Amino acid sequence: MNEKIRNFAIIAHIDHGKSTLADRILELTGAISKREMSSQMLDSMELEQERGITIKLNAVKLDYKGYTLHLIDTPGHVDFSYEVSRSLAACEGAILLVDATQGIQAQTLANYFLALENDLTIIPVINKIDLPNSDTDKVINELVDTFGFEKDEIILTSAKTGLGIDNLLDEIIKKIPAPSGNINSDFRGLIFDSVYDAYKGVVVQVRVVDGKVKLKDKIKFLSNDAVYEVVELGYHTPKEVKVNELSAGDVGYIAASIKKIKDVQIGDTVTLENLKVKPLEGYKRMKSMVYSGIYPVETNKYDELKEALEKLSLNDASLIYEPEVSKALGFGFRCGFLGLLHMDIIKERIEREFNIDIIITSPSVIYKVYLTNNEVKEISNPSDFPDRQVISRIEEPYVKTNIFVPTEYIGSIMELCENKRGNFINMDYIDKTRVNIHYELPLSEIMHDFFDKLKSYSKGYASFDYELIGYKQSDLVKMDILLNGEMVDALSMIVHKDFAYSLGKNITIKLKEIIPRQLFEVPIQASIGNKVISRCDIKSMRKNVLAKCYGGDISRKKKLLEKQKEGKKKMKMIGSVEIPPEAFLDVLSIK
Amino acid sequence: MANSVYLHIPFCNNICSYCDFCKFYKNDEIINKYLDSLENEIDNDFLGEKLNTLYIGGGTPSCLNNNQLNKLFDITSRFIFNDNYEFTIECNIEDIDEEILELFKNNRVNRLSIGVQSFIKKNLNFLDRNKNIDIISRINLAKKYFDNINIDLIYALKNQSIKDLEKDIDIFLSLDLPHISCYSLIIEPHTKISNIKPINDKLDYDMFKLIDSKLKDYNHYEISNYSKKGYESKHNLTYWNNEEYYGFGLSASSYLNNIRYTNYRNLTKYNEKIYKKEKEILSLEDKMKYEYILKFRLKDGINIKDFNKKYNCNILDNKIIKELINEDKLLIENDNIIVNKKYIYVINEILVKLI
Repeated sequence: MNEKIRNFAIIAHIDHGKSTLADRILELTGAISKREMSSQMLDSMELEQERGITIKLNAVKLDYKGYTLHLIDTPGHVDFSYEVSRSLAACEGAILLVDATQGIQAQTLANYFLALENDLTIIPVINKIDLPNSDTDKVINELVDTFGFEKDEIILTSAKTGLGIDNLLDEIIKKIPAPSGNINSDFRGLIFDSVYDAYKGVVVQVRVVDGKVKLKDKIKFLSNDAVYEVVELGYHTPKEVKVNELSAGDVGYIAASIKKIKDVQIGDTVTLENLKVKPLEGYKRMKSMVYSGIYPVETNKYDELKEALEKLSLNDASLIYEPEVSKALGFGFRCGFLGLLHMDIIKERIEREFNIDIIITSPSVIYKVYLTNNEVKEISNPSDFPDRQVISRIEEPYVKTNIFVPTEYIGSIMELCENKRGNFINMDYIDKTRVNIHYELPLSEIMHDFFDKLKSYSKGYASFDYELIGYKQSDLVKMDILLNGEMVDALSMIVHKDFAYSLGKNITIKLKEIIPRQLFEVPIQASIGNKVISRCDIKSMRKNVLAKCYGGDISRKKKLLEKQKEGKKKMKMIGSVEIPPEAFLDVLSIK
Repeated sequence: MANSVYLHIPFCNNICSYCDFCKFYKNDEIINKYLDSLENEIDNDFLGEKLNTLYIGGGTPSCLNNNQLNKLFDITSRFIFNDNYEFTIECNIEDIDEEILELFKNNRVNRLSIGVQSFIKKNLNFLDRNKNIDIISRINLAKKYFDNINIDLIYALKNQSIKDLEKDIDIFLSLDLPHISCYSLIIEPHTKISNIKPINDKLDYDMFKLIDSKLKDYNHYEISNYSKKGYESKHNLTYWNNEEYYGFGLSASSYLNNIRYTNYRNLTKYNEKIYKKEKEILSLEDKMKYEYILKFRLKDGINIKDFNKKYNCNILDNKIIKELINEDKLLIENDNIIVNKKYIYVINEILVKLI
């Protein structure tokens, strides 16, 4: 029975047509009719459809020519390669999708290596071959030269028109091996996703590796021995279909009235209560690269924020958080993210799905601070930085870049990287017109606007990926920001000494723009230690008086005041200064 | 019980560049219909209380012709006044002559509010107001008939220097009038000057300070109002003291039996005798909020005993009031809570906290 199952994912650089290809496959296999099709079916999250990106993976079961295909969607953005590796762990094969107009890009490369690590069978596909500006022959050569594929195994498609999709499905059946698990062994399933449902509790997505699980079975999570009774089993087509059992090779969901969010861990193995089985190899946990503080604008929303983070982390194991206290912002959480986009997504989900206004503080990497007493501290929050006198040296994380760019932009990309404290390593020519530039860059330098700058320095042609290569010593200092003479811990940041002066100046100017006028003149200062390196003043407020009381129209007067009040609601009081919550993040966009 | 009435006459000879009030170019036919409708509205709603104050505002009530003014005073003749009543009519400087003053006087008017805005031609030009009038002699004429006269002055005008403003105030002082309202120009959308830039903040603030120091012999009893002792505007104090009043006419507001009403701003509708548009029914809490935003405009602020009695609570238990007192934004003087003079200029920042 296993012989008739194929589990696969689609991997691609962002915008190479992954979701459209998934749509076409859904249509061709009859999972969904043209009429029912809202484009990009698998991107169900509002945010995903809005931004045209896939954040969360989704799994669907499809029937094709007597075979059962499980398609697991994957995100394309560099931040979410962790999610990709989760998808891949549940598969035997992957479709490597490349845009015929763009060729191999940074995440094509990264995803290819992830698939190799997972021992997957890779089917190379060139998409968008119908576009007038496509250069299919060139991209075929790239795939052959870079990855060593044979020319004749590369499949050509247009997901938009449906061209070549049947051919691709046949190739999936032919090339991807059936799952190897044994239906007669003890039940073992790999949890690769989970989601909280108000009625069903935590619903886990599993790839059944061995044996089977039935309704009313008592299931057990290996990592914590928590036991639950199965109340519902099923899969998505993408419609939800309930079944009585899931068996080896299947990809589906289990609902078991799980109320304790913490019991479910992505990558864990699920089995039956009375069985003793070996855990499946999960996947390596991605380390959070970027840390920042999340605080509720209204301090009484702390508990709601905590619940929101709990629920979000349920199906986003890469989000980590722990409570922290800021003198300026009160109680909140120190959160770890995979990258800036991930941080942005979490911020928006908290605000949209949980309706909590939050403040995010400037993101920071983890610094290794070596003290004079030979102790080493790992610090991700600038306000935890020890006194300068007791620091012997500081190390910061560095990355190695893959920047794919047409040769004419080599100069400007190099200029950008040099400005970001980069060290040139080397350059690989993909062909005569394109290169992959390798730089060594401090992670902190690519956190803020590097991606945007990269796009503008290359007129949109550059694609970018990076890998962490370890820590290196840097001449770093902590820069504090003082408002009205008072240090605001949430605005402190770690900066390179050589850049501190210009940064301090820019940040004080930026804050002056962001913070509205106050009742008093408020000085904004940037300082290192006790030394003020820059200063700017927020002017005192313009007149704010409603003068004329026209014909006793007092209701109108009150409405005007109410309107003013509405505008102030979202302000955060720091001492006696009112600050808009965006200030803590926006201040960095100047870097 | 309401003992104050406001009547709105929304017609003008000329539309000033800054004005966003409810007004129309005068048209005799429409005015006649309007006065009929106004009379009808009063007949419908007025319960016949004896009045302490009556105020006819606009627009420009003085732009009505003789017949129309007579009709207007025919309407007001139904109001019975208490002793020490105040009956104000707003009057444009160019409409002032012996005839109209006589007419006002004979119809029990005892206070004039004259929209002067500025004595300086450059400013009048900017405001789109008639600049060919001998303002001073007209005011002197009015003084022969009335001793209780207010003038309105606007400052913070485009290209106005501090010297210009000083000159305006000096002229006012030389006229020895008992009341002045000084308004800093608010650039409103949908006016002719909606695109101009406000004067710079420092100059605006300096002007505010200048007025305050030059009028030191007057009682600065409300944010924008200065008077000699005993000449405070009784009618406007009704608003600021959060007391009830009738308002009749297009777009007029009333406050009766804990409800604030606002009339339609549509003249056609009004002339078809369709009046009340919005109703805001006030809870006790709403009333307290109004008390804050109105009374804190006054120099004397809120009397603690009166407030506690009126609302059966202790105002000093209010967390925000306490906070503002701690921050020195509100001060306790004798038995009153008042806004620290330092913050009058940005008083809305304080008021928004209280609503």
